[in-house]
Amino acid sequence: MTTFLALSITGLVVGCIYALTACGLVVTYTTSGVFNFAHGAIGMVAAFTYWQLSVGWGWPAPLAFLAVLLVLAPLLGAVVERVLIRPLYGAPIGVTLVATLGLLVTLLGVGFLVWPPDTTRVLPKFFEGHTVTVFSLVVDYNQLLVIVTSVVVAVGLRLFFSRTRLGIAMRAVVDDPELAALAGTKPERVSQLSWAMGASLAALAGVLLAPLQTLNVTELTLLVINGYAAAMAGRLRNLPATVAGALVIGVSSSLVLGYAGPQVVNYVRPAIPMILLFIAVLFLKQERLRAGSLAGLRMPRTTGLRQSVGVGVVFVVVAGFVSGQLSPAHLAIGSQGLVLAFVMLSLVLLSGYGGQVSLCQLTFAGLGAYAMGKTGGGALGLLAAIALPAAAGALVALTVVRLRGLFLALATLAFAQAMDQIFFNHALGYGGTLAIPRPRLPFVDTADDQVYFVLLAVVLALGSVGLLVLRRRAFGRRLIALNDSPAASATMGVSPVRTRLVVFTVSSAVAGLGGALLGGLHGSVSPNDFLLLNSCVLLLLATLGGLYTPTGAFLAAMSYALFPELQKLVPELGQVQFLLTGLGVLALGRNRYGVGGQLADAGEKLRALRLQRVGVARAAG
Amino acid sequence: MLRVEDVEVRFGGVQALKGVSLEVPDGALVGLIGPNGAGKTTLFNVITGLEKPFRGRVLMGDQDVTSLPPHQRARRGLGRTFQRIEVFSSLTVHENVLAAAEARRSWGRDEPEPARSASELLERVGLGDVERERVDKLPTGLLRLVEVARALASRPRLLLLDEPGSGLSTHESEALGDLLVDLVRDGRSILLVEHDVELVMRVCQQIHVLDFGSIIATGTPDQVQRDPVVQAAYLGTSAA
Repeated sequence: MTTFLALSITGLVVGCIYALTACGLVVTYTTSGVFNFAHGAIGMVAAFTYWQLSVGWGWPAPLAFLAVLLVLAPLLGAVVERVLIRPLYGAPIGVTLVATLGLLVTLLGVGFLVWPPDTTRVLPKFFEGHTVTVFSLVVDYNQLLVIVTSVVVAVGLRLFFSRTRLGIAMRAVVDDPELAALAGTKPERVSQLSWAMGASLAALAGVLLAPLQTLNVTELTLLVINGYAAAMAGRLRNLPATVAGALVIGVSSSLVLGYAGPQVVNYVRPAIPMILLFIAVLFLKQERLRAGSLAGLRMPRTTGLRQSVGVGVVFVVVAGFVSGQLSPAHLAIGSQGLVLAFVMLSLVLLSGYGGQVSLCQLTFAGLGAYAMGKTGGGALGLLAAIALPAAAGALVALTVVRLRGLFLALATLAFAQAMDQIFFNHALGYGGTLAIPRPRLPFVDTADDQVYFVLLAVVLALGSVGLLVLRRRAFGRRLIALNDSPAASATMGVSPVRTRLVVFTVSSAVAGLGGALLGGLHGSVSPNDFLLLNSCVLLLLATLGGLYTPTGAFLAAMSYALFPELQKLVPELGQVQFLLTGLGVLALGRNRYGVGGQLADAGEKLRALRLQRVGVARAAG
Repeated sequence: MLRVEDVEVRFGGVQALKGVSLEVPDGALVGLIGPNGAGKTTLFNVITGLEKPFRGRVLMGDQDVTSLPPHQRARRGLGRTFQRIEVFSSLTVHENVLAAAEARRSWGRDEPEPARSASELLERVGLGDVERERVDKLPTGLLRLVEVARALASRPRLLLLDEPGSGLSTHESEALGDLLVDLVRDGRSILLVEHDVELVMRVCQQIHVLDFGSIIATGTPDQVQRDPVVQAAYLGTSAA
C-alpha cells in the first residue's frame, strides 16, 4: 500500500508538470493556431536561466523564480510571436511547424552556447530537506509545491478564460479572428498575449522539472515533449481534459514502472509517453474534408524532361571530374552532401509535392541501413534496404493515413521517438554500431571512395530526374491536386487514403535506400544517427532549401555537409550555427518556398524577360 | 437521377437545412435559388458527401449513397464545382482538367486520351487559348469555367454547379447558358445554383427556391416567378 501511495505521489508530481506543459501548449495553440514545437526548448532555457540567476549569480531563489516566470519568459514569448509567428499568419501547417522547429533548434543552440554541457549543473530542490508525513508517507516540500502550483494554475486558467474580459476575448479570437476584430478585439494582441502566457507556463514546467534531474539541454527540451500526449487528450482545446490526461499519464506510467521488472522498464520506459501520444493522436476524431481550405502555396514551375535529364547528365559529368580533384576528406564531405540530398528527395516527394509533414524520415533511413547491414551489400541487401522501410512506411501510413497536418506530424514524431528508444537502441546496441557494407555492383569498385562519390552523384541525379518525371505524370498531378484541394480531388473520384498510402510508402523506400547508402559511406551506423532531433533538422533544412524542388534539397544538403569545413576556416561560425538556422527560419516568413523556390522564381522571371525580348525583336523585325 | 430526402443539417444550434427534399430527373436542368445563407452550398456538400446530414438520405438512381465518402459518389457519376474556388493552384489550366481526366481513366477505364479530352473540354468552355497558363494567373470568373471543365472531365452523369456564372461578363454568361443547355441535351442532369436569375429562368426546366434552410417553392420558371412567397423572400427584392 505504501509503495502504491509513494508511486502515486511521484507520478502525480510528474503528471502535474506534464499538465503545466500541456496547458501552455493548449493556450498558445487555441489562441494563435500555431502548435509550438519549441515549447520544451523555452522551458529548458527558462530552467537554465533560473539556475544562472539563483545558483550562478546567487540571487535569492524566489526573486530568480519570479524574474524568470513573470518577466523573462513572457517577454521571450511575446518577441517570438511578433518576429516569427505573426508574419506566418494563415500559412499552411508545414510552414508554421518548421518555423517553431527552427525556434527549437535556435534555442538548443543558445542553450549549448551559454551553458556548455562540460560542467554539471544541479538545481537544489525547493525547500530542500523539508518534508511532511501524510498517512505514514513522507512527502517533501518540493513535491507539495509542484502539486499546489499546478492546482493554482489550473484553477486560475479556468477562471481567466471564463470570467475575465480578456480571457473571453481570447476564446473569441479562436472561433473567428475577423469577427473578434470587428467586436474591438485586436487578434494580434491576443495572440501575442497567448504566446507570453504559453512561454510562462513552459518556464514554470521547466523550472519545476529541473530540480528532479540534472540540467541537460537536450533532455529538458525533449522531456517536455511528454506533455504532447496530455495536450492531445484534451484535443488541444479542452483544458480540464488536458489536465486529467496529464495526471493519468503521470500516475499510470509511474505505477507501471514501479511494479514492472527492470527488463520492461529499460525497454519501454523512455517510450511510454510517445506510445501514449501515438495512441491519443489515433483516437482523434477524423478530420473531414472541407471545401474552402486551400493550402495557399503554389509550387515553382517544373523543368521539362529534356532539360532535367540534361542537367542530370552535366551534374554527373561534373561530379566525375571533381571527384579526381578532391582530397579524401573533401570527398567524404561531398559524398555526405550527396547522400543527404538523396534522403531529402523523400521529403520533396512527401512534404513538397504531397503536403504531408513527416518527422520520421531518418527512422526509415535507419531501417534501410539496418536491413542492408543485416543482409549484406548484394542485390538482396539493396532490395531489403528498400523493402523494409517501405513496409514500415506502409504500416505507419495505414495507421496515420487519415491524419493530416499537425496531427500527422505529431504521430510521426511519436513513431520516430519510440523507434529510437525501442528499436534502434536495442537492434544496434546502446552506443554500439552496426557495420553497413557498400552495395556491390558489377564492373564498379564501390570500395573506392572516389568511385562511391560518383555513384552517389549518379543515384542522386537519377532520383531527382525520376522525381521530376513523376511530378509531370498523372501520379504527380494527382498528388499535387490532393495537396492543393483535397475536397476538389475527392469530388473527381480520387481516393485520398490510397494516394497518401502510396506516396508515404514510396517516400519511406527512398529514405531507406538513402540511409543504406549513408551507412555504406561511413561503414557503420549507430543509434545516434537516426535521432528524432536529426529528423527535425533534416526537415528544417529541406524546407529552408526549398521543399518543392530537388535543387533545393541538393543546396540544403550540401550546405549542411560543408558547414564543418567552413567552420574550420571561420571558427566563430560554430558558435552561431544554430542562430544562422534561426535566421533562415525567419526568412520563411518572407518566402515560403525556400532558396530553391527563390531560384525557380528568378528563373521564371528571366524566362519571361527573354520571351519579352524575343517578342520585341520579332515585332521590330 | 438524384433524390434528396428530408435532409437536415445542424451547425451547433443552427439548423442550416430543415427537412429538404428535392429531385433531379434524368436529363433535367434543375435550378436551386435562394438568398445568401439559405443553405444552397450546404445542400451541395451533403449531396457530394463533404457534409454529413443529421437526418435524411441522398439517393443516386436507386442507390442510397448517404454513407459513401465523396470519391465513391464521384465514381458513381457525381461531379461538382465550388462556390469558393477550389482549383489546383500549383497546376496549369490544362493540368487542372487533365488531373480530373486522368482520375477518370484510373477508375473509369473509358478515357483513352486524357490530354486530348482536357483540351477539348477547355475549348468547349471557352478557355482554349489560356490552357497553358498557370491557373493562379486567371481572374475569378474564368476560374469558375476551369472548374466546370474539370468537373466535366470526370464525365459525370449529374453535375452540381455552384454559381458558375458569377464574375462572368454578360456575353460569357450567355455562352455559359448555351453550354448548360448543350450538356443536358447530351444526356446529363444538372443541378444549378446561381444568383443570375435571368440565366436560371432561361435555361432551367424546374426551379426550387430555398430560404432559411427550407424549400419554400418548386415549379417551372413561370410558376416560381409568379409565386408571392418567393417574391417576398427573394425575387421581389432583386426586382425592386
